[in-house]
Parts: sequence; C-alpha cells; structure tokens
Amino acid sequence: MLASDDARKIQLVASLAGESDNAIEPLLKAWREDALYLYEPTEGARVPVLLVGEKDDNDGRAAVRVDTGASLVDADGKSLRLVAADLDAVEHTSALRRAMKGVLDLLDVASPDRKKRLQAIQTIGFSQDAEKLPALQKRLDMENDAAVKRSLREAIAVTRLKDPAANVKLSALKELQELHSLSSYDLIRNAMRDAETVGDKQTAAAAKLALSAIDKHKSTINFFGTLFRGLSLGSILLIVAIGLAITFGLMGVINMAHGEMIAVGAYTTYLVENVFGAGITIPFFGFSLSIPGIHASGVFYQSYFLFALPLSFLAAALVGIGLERSIIRFLYRRPLESLLATWGVSLLLQQGLKLMFGSNNVQVSSPSYLSGNWTVNDIIFGWNRVFVIGFAGLIVFGVWLILTKTPLGLLIRSVMQNRNMASCMGVRTERVNMLTFGLGSGLAGLAGAFISQIGNVGPSLGQNYIVDCFMTVVVGGVGNLAGTIYSAIGIGLVDQSLQQILLNPVLGKILVLVAIILFLQWRPSGLFVTRSRNLDD
Amino acid sequence: MNNKYMLTVEDVSKTYDGFKAITDLNFYLFEGELRTVIGPNGAGKSTFFDLITGRAKPDKGKIEFGMDTDLTTMNEYEINRLGIGRKFQTPSVFTEHTVYNNIVLSLAGSRGVFASIFKRLSSTERDRIDELLKLVRLDGKRDWKAGMLAHGEKQWLEIGMLLAQEPKILLVDEPAAGMTDEETHRTGELLVSLAGKHSIVVIEHDMTFVKQIARDGQVTVLHQGSVLCEGKFDVVQSNPKVREVYLGRGKSGGK
Amino acid sequence: MSSLSKRHKIELIAVGVIAVFFIVIFPLLNAHGAVSNFTINLWGKYLCYALLAISVDLLWGYTGLLSLGQALFFSLGGYMMGMYLMRMIGDLGQYKKPIPDFLVFLGWTDLPKFWVPFSSFPFASAMVLLVPGLLALVFGFLAFRSRVKGVYFSILTQALTYGASLMFFRNDMLMGGNNGFTDFKFILGYDLRDASTQRGLFIATALVLLVVYVALRLLSHTKFGLVQRAIRDGENRVLFSGYATAHFKLFIFIVAALIAAVAGALYVPQVGIINPSEMTPDKSLEAVVWCAVGGRATLVGPIIGAIGVNSLKSWASRAAPDYWLVILGGLFVIVVLLLPGGIVSIPARLKALWQRFKKKPAEPEPTSSGDSSASIPPASESKPSA
Repeated sequence: MLASDDARKIQLVASLAGESDNAIEPLLKAWREDALYLYEPTEGARVPVLLVGEKDDNDGRAAVRVDTGASLVDADGKSLRLVAADLDAVEHTSALRRAMKGVLDLLDVASPDRKKRLQAIQTIGFSQDAEKLPALQKRLDMENDAAVKRSLREAIAVTRLKDPAANVKLSALKELQELHSLSSYDLIRNAMRDAETVGDKQTAAAAKLALSAIDKHKSTINFFGTLFRGLSLGSILLIVAIGLAITFGLMGVINMAHGEMIAVGAYTTYLVENVFGAGITIPFFGFSLSIPGIHASGVFYQSYFLFALPLSFLAAALVGIGLERSIIRFLYRRPLESLLATWGVSLLLQQGLKLMFGSNNVQVSSPSYLSGNWTVNDIIFGWNRVFVIGFAGLIVFGVWLILTKTPLGLLIRSVMQNRNMASCMGVRTERVNMLTFGLGSGLAGLAGAFISQIGNVGPSLGQNYIVDCFMTVVVGGVGNLAGTIYSAIGIGLVDQSLQQILLNPVLGKILVLVAIILFLQWRPSGLFVTRSRNLDD
Repeated sequence: MNNKYMLTVEDVSKTYDGFKAITDLNFYLFEGELRTVIGPNGAGKSTFFDLITGRAKPDKGKIEFGMDTDLTTMNEYEINRLGIGRKFQTPSVFTEHTVYNNIVLSLAGSRGVFASIFKRLSSTERDRIDELLKLVRLDGKRDWKAGMLAHGEKQWLEIGMLLAQEPKILLVDEPAAGMTDEETHRTGELLVSLAGKHSIVVIEHDMTFVKQIARDGQVTVLHQGSVLCEGKFDVVQSNPKVREVYLGRGKSGGK
Repeated sequence: MSSLSKRHKIELIAVGVIAVFFIVIFPLLNAHGAVSNFTINLWGKYLCYALLAISVDLLWGYTGLLSLGQALFFSLGGYMMGMYLMRMIGDLGQYKKPIPDFLVFLGWTDLPKFWVPFSSFPFASAMVLLVPGLLALVFGFLAFRSRVKGVYFSILTQALTYGASLMFFRNDMLMGGNNGFTDFKFILGYDLRDASTQRGLFIATALVLLVVYVALRLLSHTKFGLVQRAIRDGENRVLFSGYATAHFKLFIFIVAALIAAVAGALYVPQVGIINPSEMTPDKSLEAVVWCAVGGRATLVGPIIGAIGVNSLKSWASRAAPDYWLVILGGLFVIVVLLLPGGIVSIPARLKALWQRFKKKPAEPEPTSSGDSSASIPPASESKPSA
C-alpha cells in the first residue's frame, strides 16, 4: 500500500472496495484529511501511523501503527508521543483521493449490518455513478440476502440508465421494469425525458413501459396497503363498538358513558403495568392510595398485558353494573332520558379519572412484540395492526361463544327477544339486564386495555371513540351483532380508501360521517334490519 | 248503492321476513258500502289496512283509490288527504291534548305548515266540533286531557276524529274492543248510520257486533292473507270452511 | 284563538315586568355604576345561553327531537359574526397587516375570496341566518325524509356536530383553526371594550330574547303548536291525520337553528372569542342540561335553567374548579332521575305534597288544562320566577 507508484496506489485502494475490514474506514479518512503520517524510526523502514488521543503539553499524541494496529513504542516499551508538525503526512494526489472516496462510499455496501447495507446501496444507486458499478457487481456476486440482492440489481440498473450505449440502457430499463422498482421511478422518468429530447424513441418507449409497470405495482401496493389498514381500522372500530352493540343494540340503552368504560379499561391496564413495575400512588379525594409494585422485569414484565386483560374487563364490567343498578334500570322505557343521564355519568367518570390520574395522558409501555413490521412485496404489515386484527377476531369469537354456547347467552337472547315472555317463563330479567350491561361494559373495558397499547391514555380517551362507536352500531343495524362487524370493517375500509384518495385524514373522516348520513337515507335502519311487526312502533 | 268502486285491491302480496302476511289478496269496496272483515288472528287484517294506508308497501299488486289513483306510491299523509281515514286497533289519540283539540287537529282543511300557523277556527268549524263532540258523547269532557279518558271513550274520540276528517273511506280496526255491551251497540248504530255517506271497512272479532253492523251487507273472511269467502253474514257463518278456520275455534260469538 | 285566560294575563304581566327590568332598568343601573360592567357582560352571556336553551327546548321539549346539533348552529352564527369582527380589526392586529392575523401566520398576503364580503355588517348578519339555516334545511330534509327518529336523530346530529368541529379545527378551512377568532376591536364603529358598547349588546340580547319568547308563546297557541306537541306525543297518529310531519319537523328544526345562530352571533362580541371547542356535541348536551334543569316543554324553564346552571358554573369554577364537571354531571343525573319536570315543576310538586299532607286524595281531573283554545303541558303553569 505504501508503494511509491501512483497508479499502483490507486489500483490498490480501489481493490479495497467491497471489502468489509473495519480498519479501512478510519485509515482512508485520515489519509484524505492529511492525518496519516509517516514515522521514521531511527532504524528500519518508515511506518505509517495515526495519531490518537488527547494532545499533551508538548502537542504530542500517542501514535498507532496502521499496518499492525499496535501502539508505537520506543525501545523501552514506553509509548511514544509524536507531534504532528514534526511528521510528514502521507502524500496523495487528486486521483488517489477520488479512489479513496469511492472506497469509503462503498464501505457500507459491505457492512455486516443488513439495514446499513440496504441504505448504502440505495444511496449509491441514486447517485448514478458509473464508477461504482464494479463494486456493486462484486458485491452482488457475494451477497446472499435476497432483499439486498434485489436492491443491488436495482442500483446497478439505475446506474446503467446513464450509460451512453442504447442497448445497455434498454436492458437496464427492462431490469427495472421487472423489479417494479418504486424508488427509481423519478430517475426512469428523467431518462425518458432525456431520451425524448435526443429523439431516442426506443429508449423512451422502454422507459414508458417500465414506468407503467411500476405504476401498476404501485397501485397494487396501495390497494393491499389500504385494504390492510382499512381492515385494521375496522378492527379497532369493532373492538370499541362491540360492547355498545350489546348495550345499545341488544338492550336499547343509549350509554353515553360507553367511552368512559373504555377509559376505565385503559387505566386498569395502566395500573396493572405499574404494579408489575415500580408501583403507583393515586390521590383520591384527599386520600392517597399507595399500591406497591413487584418490580418485575424481562418477559414476566412484558406479560403484564395478559393479566391486564381480564382485570380491565372486570373493572369496566363492575362500573357498568353499578351504573345499571343505580341509574339505567329506571330508564329502560325512556331512551332519550337514559342518553342524558349517562352523559352526566360520563362527565362524572371523566372528572373522577382526572382527579385520580391527572389530566395529562399517562404512558403505558407497549410490549416489544407490538413494534416492528413485516414487508411482503413492498407492502408493509405493521405488527401492531396485525395484532389489532387478531385481537378483534378473538373478541368476536369470544362474544359469539358467550351468546350462543353459555346459559347466560341463552338468557340474554331470550330477554332481548321478548322481555315479558322471558319474565313469565321465570327468567329473572332484572338480573339478566344487569349481567348483559356488565358484559357490554366489560367488552368496552377490554377495548380500553387494547387501546392503551396503540394509542394515548387520558381521561377524555372515551370521547374520541364514542361517536365512532354509535355510528358503527347504527350503520350495522341496531340489534344485530353481525351487522356491527360488517359495518365496522366497511367503515374502516371506506375511511382508509378516502384517506388514500384525499391524502388528508381529517377530511376523510368528515367525508365518512357525511357518507354515513347519506347511507342512512338509503337504509334508515342500517345494514341489517331487525323488523318488528309492532304497530305502535 | 251504485257500482262505483271506491277501493280496488288486486293480487296484492306482502311478506315480512319470510312470513307471508298477505297473499294474492283481491278486495273491492263500493261507494257507500259498509263492509265487515273478519278472520282469525294472523289472518293479515291489520296488514291489510297498513297496505291501504301506506304504512306498508306491497311486494306486488295494485291498490287503487276511486277509479285510478294508485296508492302504492303514496305516503301515509297523502293517502289520508285523499280521504282515507283510519282508526287503529289500540285507540290512538293525542293523549296530552284536550278532547277538543284532538278534534281541532283532525278537522278537515289544509294541513300545511304555514296554514297551521295562521289557522283561526271559523264559527262553522266550532259548530261542527260541538256537533261531533255531541255525536261521540264527549261534550261534557271537552276540556279533559284525552289521555285521561276511559278506553271506550278513547275509541269514541278516535271515531270522532275520523269523522272530523270527513273521509270518503273509513277504515275501522276493532272499534268495539274495550267497550261495554251498551257502548258496543251504540258504536254499531253509529257506523250503520254513517254508511251511505261514507264507504266503511270494519275489522271486528265480536260476532254479535258483526251481525249487528253487517245486516244484509257483505262480510269478507280473511284467512292466511287471502280472502277465504265473501258474502252475506248468514251465508258466511254457515260456510263450513269458515267454521273450520275461524268459528270452529270456539270463538263463535254468533248464535 | 280565543281571549286570554287569567293565567295568561298573569304571565303577560310577569314577562312584561321582567322584560322592562332587563331591557331598561338593569342597563340604567349599569350606566350609573350600580351594576358593574363585569356583571352586565356576564348576564349578556347568560341571556345568549338562554336563547340557545330555548332553541333546544323548541326541539326537544315541544317536538320530542333531541338534537345534539344546537351548539353547531350556535357556533356557526358566532363564526359568521366573528368573521365580520375580524375584518373590523383592520390593520390593528399583531402583524399590522390588513388581513386577520391567523391568515398572515398561514402565509396569506391577500384576503381569501369568501372573506371579502364579510366587511359588510348587513352581509355578515345575513350569513348569520343563511349559513346555519341552509345547513339545517339540508340536514333536516335528509334526516326527516328518511324518518330518523328518537335516539337515532340524536346520534346523527351528534355526528354532524362532531364532523363540523373536526372541519373547523383544520387550519386550511381558513377559519382560524384551533384558536378560532379573538382580539376583536370594533362593531359597527363602536369600540367593543367600551362599557356602553357592551351595554348596547346586552340590551340587544335581552330584546331578542323577549321577541323570541313572545313569538314562540304565540306559536304554541296556534294550531301549529298543537301539531308540534302532537308529533312529540304520537307522531304516527299525526301522520295518519294527514299532516306531513316531516315538513313540520323541518320547519321547527330550521327555526331552532336560526334562534341558536342569532344567540351565537350575539354571544361572540360579548365574550370576545369563538373557537371550534364551542362546536362540540358536549356543548349541545350542556344546553340540554340547562333545558332539563329548568324544565322542558315550558318557555321559562330553559331561561331559568340556562341562567341558573351558568351562575352555578361561574361560582363553581372559581370555588371548586376540579369539581365543576362532577357537579354538572351529578346535577344532570339527579334531574333526569328525580325531577323530570325541572325547577319549574317544583311548585306544582310541593303543592301536590301539601295536598297529600292535608290528606286530600288528589283527583286527576281538576289539574288538567283549563282553557279550550290551546293546551299547554301542566309544567308551564308555574309562573316565571327569574
């Protein structure tokens, strides 16, 4: 490397490209910045050294031999201190510097870190520098990872777009077309424009072909991406609305405090998390309640969520049962009044939460299994979204089991179909009402536990969901659980599609509300009508 | 009675969630006729009225008022304005309004929003209200809230409200329910006296009452959503099919 | 329709006395320093709320339509007036530019087109009525045509309000976004910070309230009033009596929207700010609370309720800011459960208690409404006590 011949040096430096030795980077950097020095010991050959560490009083610094990496020591084994000004910097010409920069750029291409590699390859591809081609090629031969390989092919093809030879260009375009390369879209378009200006019809046509193939791929990705996001949003709606589908849909109670039941569930999760952690102190109307923590860690700490789920359900169910016993049972025949009274309760609960947990959002740590994603053919599936969908499926399955396979479910269904008849048959309708309301509220609590994992937890958490909940149930058709499922997913899909089209989430949401109002014009009783022949209705 | 049809119902069917409430029903009502409709529970009698008054839309078939007014595309209030008044099975009066105001609301005349704001009762209208209140014997309770009336009185009030509308066709659903024998008899007399001026369809269960108002007019028997038989009371009563589905169920009120 | 009964004469006198007090004496006391500027400003706000509560009552109490959209119409009226007031700031804003500050902040140099005509007070006043009126017309037409009733109507109006507030929260709506409009300076050339201007606004509010009260009282005596309450008690019977109930409901919905809008337009210059948080469904529900606490299906009830609850709020938010929502929520639960007739029904209840105490079994008949021209729900028998 210390060969005196410039041409030889360049060749040597270039040969480093694509190697993954960690020593290369600091060496070349130093060389370019005149920080690589030659040390001439009193005897023996000159050695290139790097000065490291802090300057001492004499401006001296410790030196490291570049070839061996060992500290430079004198005959006594004492570490030598050299002063930069006394040394000759290793010379370099501009050609050499260029070569060195190229090697430096290419270093990351060989980085053992897959992510770093991908990024470097992309950067190089965008620079469209023909000089980098050999290095990329070299790496492509060595590379085993499929995604990186693809990225390399992409980078090579993009770079070749600049090639003066028409046939190289054409083959590059073809390659890009096959790769559905999203990132090179603009570069291909540039190539097309260039070809058009010089009148190269063949290339322009090939570029156009490549663009349209990528466009097609893009719309496929968007379609599946939207579908997936719509499905996950629909699942969130379903999770928060299914409790309401029971209390409002089956029982006909307008529970404006449903949102606060969700909040109760979320805060229960928060409490459980703190109990697993360092403990928590809750001020409550002048008293303060200290709950010690068990200082769990690792997997056990992560598993707090599994404990939080049933507790959230229970907490919200208990609050719901209390609400039913104290207020709602007097208002079964006065739906508008129950709307107003439960709104009062929702204010009470909100303020109660505020007094206990403060008016700011609290942090609920999201388990590690919820971060990260999974990319298939350029479509990104976030794990939290996958989790949402799975969770919704589980809840629906659970509710279905309860309603169809348990004695409670049988009682609920009988009371909801014909209260008087059920009562005549000896069903204790009061108790069934209480338990049904408890079930609906408990489901809201579960929703809260789940919301705490993906969103903010604050006292007014429920307010963000209440309108969505009612819309979902109304659109699905009151009294029809299956309708709620369809409508939740439908609204989710429409919402995400509108967002995709409008590129504006708020506008999309507003349009969804408008669409729902118009939808109810067409089907005033929702998707699925539970028809009654009651004349007084 | 002349032969002008007031109401034509042809091949009408209506299904609720798979339940066939009315199947291929044919029914013709002449001007000034008093027709009695009987039939067991679930025979589709109330659905029949629902279809005529626009409360329900038929799945198929023709329902016409007079000679050529199609009712199947009209709203409840449009049909009412044509002159088809209905008394419901359970008395439905404006419970929070006085008896007097119940009649005021039912009085024939413009039903528009602005007309109602500037409406002032004329002296003829007041006389008409007095007359109707006397007719239904609620003159003394004109300032009572309608909700406080006895069941039979509500039935009468509703009949009064119906008459205030001056309808061409009266659809009366079980007018005698909840009435004493004496009241029932008087209701019968009232209905009979109205025949001729109005075309009337009465749905009824009480066979004594049916016999009283049917006299020698037509009686229609509905069964499972279509007409089982039609004819004079005696003929219908002695029809074996009718006895089987209806009278045979021990519901025989007729002698 | 017929001559006024004794009870109505009493009511007329009471209303007259109270009206004279608020429109003449109260402002005079203010002008002479006996009533502070703060107090008159506060009462001006209460009277705006009273108007809003009346509009809720017209829908809910008299027609049975629980609309959660009244806050939307109220704020729309307020926003239209706010646009005029923003224009009247001229170049006295923070940025010293001829366009409102928030537009400067958003990078505008010229006024957006739809803002231009709002420099004119008559135009802004027309918009105060037109914009909410048209929205009510379109929404009401759709809702009543498809026979959305009861709680479904509440839920839909809630969604409408929610959607609108989301829209106004957006900056690119060019209506001030989050912060809305504030820092008003002049109205019709008068300085809003002058006591006399605020006094004038108070008198205007009191006058509007009086006009609305009298107009609605007259309306409730017409056949329209009969139909309206009949719809509340049994819409199907009304429908089968030949009334297009949807038209009646639409008319009432629009009238209520207009009352709310005027209330909002009067509210904004007195309070000095309007922002999208006034537009949320919760604000509508709060107005429903006033109405319920005072006594629904009466005209004095909402006025008493609006003034009473808001006085309580003014006191509580100073004395116990943490517990204001608890008080409001609790009050609501208690009123709905235990006192469905509201404050105005208390005298009648006490009377009934007294009669029971005297061991006179109450007979239902004599309590029924006594005049034949129009029946009014018995709860309105108590006379105004505000």
